[in-house]
Amino acid sequence: MYTDRLLIIFILGTYLLSPAIIQWWSDGGQSWFRPFMVWLALIGLSYWIARSRDFDGL
Amino acid sequence: MGFSFYQLFAVALGYLLLLFFVAWITDRGLLPARLVRHPAIYVLSLGVYCSAWAIYGAVGYAHLYGYNYMAYFLGISGAFLLAPILLAPILRLTTTYQLSSLADLFAFRFRSRSAGALTTIIMIACMLPLLSLQIKAVAESIEILSGGNEPINVAGWFCMLITLFAILFGARHATAREKHEGLVVAIAVESLIKVVAFAAVALIGLFGVFDGPDGLNTWLNDHPEMLARLYFPLQDGSWHSLVMAFFVSAVVMPHMFHMAFTENLNPRALITASWGVPLLFLVMAISVPLVLWASLKVQVTTPADYFSLGLTQHIGGHASLLAYIAGLAGASGMLIVATLALSSMALNHLVLPLRPVQHTEDLYRWLLWARRILIASMLLLAYLFYVWSGHRHSLTELGVLSFVATLQFVPGLIGTLFWPGANRKGLFTGLMTGFIVWLFVLVLPMLMPSWQIPLAQELLGVRFIEPAEQWQTIAMFSVAANGFLFAIVSMITSTTPAERNAAEACAVDSLRRPYRWELEANSVEDFIGSLANPLGASTAEREVELALRDLNVSRNETRPYALRRLRDQLETNLSGLLGPSVSHQLVDDYLPYKPHDESETSEDIQFIESRLELYRNRLSGLAAELDSLRRFHRQTLLELPMGVISLGSDGEIIGWNLAMEQLTHISGRRMIGSRLSNLPQPWRQLLMEFALGDVVRMPQQTLEINHQTQWLSLHKSRVHGPTPGERDGGQVIVVEDVTDVRSLESRLAHNERLASIGRLAAGVAHEIGNPVTAIACLTQNLDLSDHDDDVRESSQQILEQTRRISRIVESLVTFSHSGGLPAQSHLPVRMHDVIEEAKALIRLDPDRRHLPIVNECPDTLTANGDPQRLLQVFVNLLSNAADANPDRQPVTIRGSLQEQEVTLEVEDHGQGIPVELRETLFEPFVTSKAPGRGTGLGLALVYSIIEDHGGSIRVESPVADGQGTRFTITLPAYVEAVAEQS
Repeated sequence: MYTDRLLIIFILGTYLLSPAIIQWWSDGGQSWFRPFMVWLALIGLSYWIARSRDFDGL
Repeated sequence: MGFSFYQLFAVALGYLLLLFFVAWITDRGLLPARLVRHPAIYVLSLGVYCSAWAIYGAVGYAHLYGYNYMAYFLGISGAFLLAPILLAPILRLTTTYQLSSLADLFAFRFRSRSAGALTTIIMIACMLPLLSLQIKAVAESIEILSGGNEPINVAGWFCMLITLFAILFGARHATAREKHEGLVVAIAVESLIKVVAFAAVALIGLFGVFDGPDGLNTWLNDHPEMLARLYFPLQDGSWHSLVMAFFVSAVVMPHMFHMAFTENLNPRALITASWGVPLLFLVMAISVPLVLWASLKVQVTTPADYFSLGLTQHIGGHASLLAYIAGLAGASGMLIVATLALSSMALNHLVLPLRPVQHTEDLYRWLLWARRILIASMLLLAYLFYVWSGHRHSLTELGVLSFVATLQFVPGLIGTLFWPGANRKGLFTGLMTGFIVWLFVLVLPMLMPSWQIPLAQELLGVRFIEPAEQWQTIAMFSVAANGFLFAIVSMITSTTPAERNAAEACAVDSLRRPYRWELEANSVEDFIGSLANPLGASTAEREVELALRDLNVSRNETRPYALRRLRDQLETNLSGLLGPSVSHQLVDDYLPYKPHDESETSEDIQFIESRLELYRNRLSGLAAELDSLRRFHRQTLLELPMGVISLGSDGEIIGWNLAMEQLTHISGRRMIGSRLSNLPQPWRQLLMEFALGDVVRMPQQTLEINHQTQWLSLHKSRVHGPTPGERDGGQVIVVEDVTDVRSLESRLAHNERLASIGRLAAGVAHEIGNPVTAIACLTQNLDLSDHDDDVRESSQQILEQTRRISRIVESLVTFSHSGGLPAQSHLPVRMHDVIEEAKALIRLDPDRRHLPIVNECPDTLTANGDPQRLLQVFVNLLSNAADANPDRQPVTIRGSLQEQEVTLEVEDHGQGIPVELRETLFEPFVTSKAPGRGTGLGLALVYSIIEDHGGSIRVESPVADGQGTRFTITLPAYVEAVAEQS
């Protein structure tokens, strides 16, 4: 049930923040690679979580 | 540089042969297992998602809709970033229940064949545009590079080639439950080639056209409209629906489901995929604008979808082969995996339910051929779709048709994972509504421009002139209608118990609560016999053997619990072979439960417990606290110093604690899940009588176990069921071993009897002693004063008899005074010496002089006691042995030291103790000797002396061959420290 909550919070949070994210993205101008940098940062975060946590269910 | 059709076809053939070679060496075990199961292989195999649409269509989409193209890569990356919490439960489900597709998952969750069939039909329909997109991409890329072959003919040749390889890759085994390691590695290689080739095309654009990043920046500065075209479409509001469509495609797209779940060789690789897959797609995504801008700069003449081909053609040399191979890799990988997955779905949910397997045919061979025919049929359908309509539409349009269609499975999927209240009626209504909206509002108007529904146009506010432009509105509307109806219909209609049961199995973080129903089949042989009817004898035998091996259960198993697990495992295994709905139906029909009232069923506590133990580390918060509490109560019950048996309402043994194991020497593992009737005698009779009887208490029951009597007190109580529907939850039986208490009571009574006899004996001795002494004195006087021989002889006889009376009286006095030996009189007593002394005394008696006595007692054996009284013990025992041993067989005395006790055994080979005397042997005045020969006080005295020493004595008779007697005496060993203390 904790997983459900986390997922709901994540999806709701992403949805609520998406207009601001898209606005920030659209204002990129010459920095067309902005979204890719954020994407890379997310991958780094995911890598860190995967390394530091033990997922017992798998 | 131009290429001929034959050159390009040869490249395609060579590429597919390379993939097949990789698969072949993998299947042959020529690649190390560590490499095959490495998470990187899994991550790369998930690159199958990047079909020809990613290589060609994404560039075209970026040209038209700017940064929205990123949704294709970002959506699925989001799903994998959340893999440990979003995809892991699905992986667990598919692995546990052998579910190989979304149709399997829905059929399992909603316990409905129709749900699987509907999902399959809709899935095939919605995948046809995407499959034809791949065919179109390869055919048109050959057309562009060769400069003028008819794409429809090229597509035909390509489809035949792919059909051959799809069959070679995926349909060599009859069952989808076997992992195709070769396929996984081949698809991983395919992804690697695709990513490297596409990134190489992008780098060629960056360095070949722009002379590096600086050149690109300068060009973008000079052409700000290029960036504006990229940014502007972000504002049109389609971003959310796009991301959502691609987010769920990780699960709903059949080829992704197949690679992510069905072919998963290493579940933990999913964690690596949580960052590996986004990284892979990032490389693909960042290449797209580079290819686009380079193509725009050099003004390639190909359609935007094929900019990567046009760009590399413009660069010249063999560079265009890179783009061609990237597109070919994307298309072929997706086609092979998707057709395998779709053929599996069609077989399980359309063919097998309509045409049940005949038991006379070879099931595995039949399945293999059916799968091959289905693969060919799927590719033929995709080709026909391409010929009919696909070739007229852009890659973007075809892709959008499929992506919007797959969104229709999202409500059902959410219901499966997160909403136990969802039911099949809701699923049918929602799915059909979403599909109809997709078909009539998006597909038909797009593929058949003459298609019009004026009223619907007005109602939905959608103009069909350009449905592709309106696709996001249609997508949102269809999914909203689907989800709304799914929820409403599920809420207002009833859910069957089977659906509820499956829902519990599917719900995230939920535990399946199976019920304990009794099966018609009572043994493994019954299982094979029942399944031979639909499957054929050899298949039934093989499947049952496989299930037994999976469960690690013996073929002789008859416990109801184990048979239920076997039934579940068979259903799971057959699900991998025939699909969940056919498997469920088959198992229901041929391995049925006995008729039962569903409202009175009990949960399978044992199974729930084993699952809880398995999932223990995944519990947190309140659930973990509750689990700790459960474990505490369970442990309390388990270690209760009284035997506890918990019985279900059907008589099945649910609990069997450690005290029961010690008492019966039967392990809980053997008994749990079986019935009392499976118990060995004498436990079976005792416990069954008690469990079935009306009395709630049976005190002091005797049980003969290994020639020893055990005294037991039995208590029982009815247990109410844990759920409101259960009226009778069975009973709990407590078995108390009162043998020690009983023995103590017996010894106390014995001692009390001895004490009263002692008091009586003392009184009698006192009363008799005085007159006897007077008689003796008078007789002596008579003897001295009279010289008559007759008188003297008579007086001598009187004296002899008075002496005899005196001896008896003396014995009585000795016996009466035997209790209460003060502790301080205890000394170290070398038992060997005591026995030697007893031997010497015995030999003083002429009748016993020739009795062979073997003293095997070690010299060092030292007891703590009174040497004189212990001497008396051995004299008595040896006298009895001599009297019972007319043949003068040797009497053996052995001694040993065990921990703090000295054990001595006196064994003769005489006639043994009569049966009627065994129980009362140590009672006073009990003797087997002829009247006048013994007083019956000897063994009573021995018992009394040994008790006074804090020891014990027991007797075994006969010892061997129906004769002989063995007395075993234990005495406290002499310990110096104890002696010094005293």
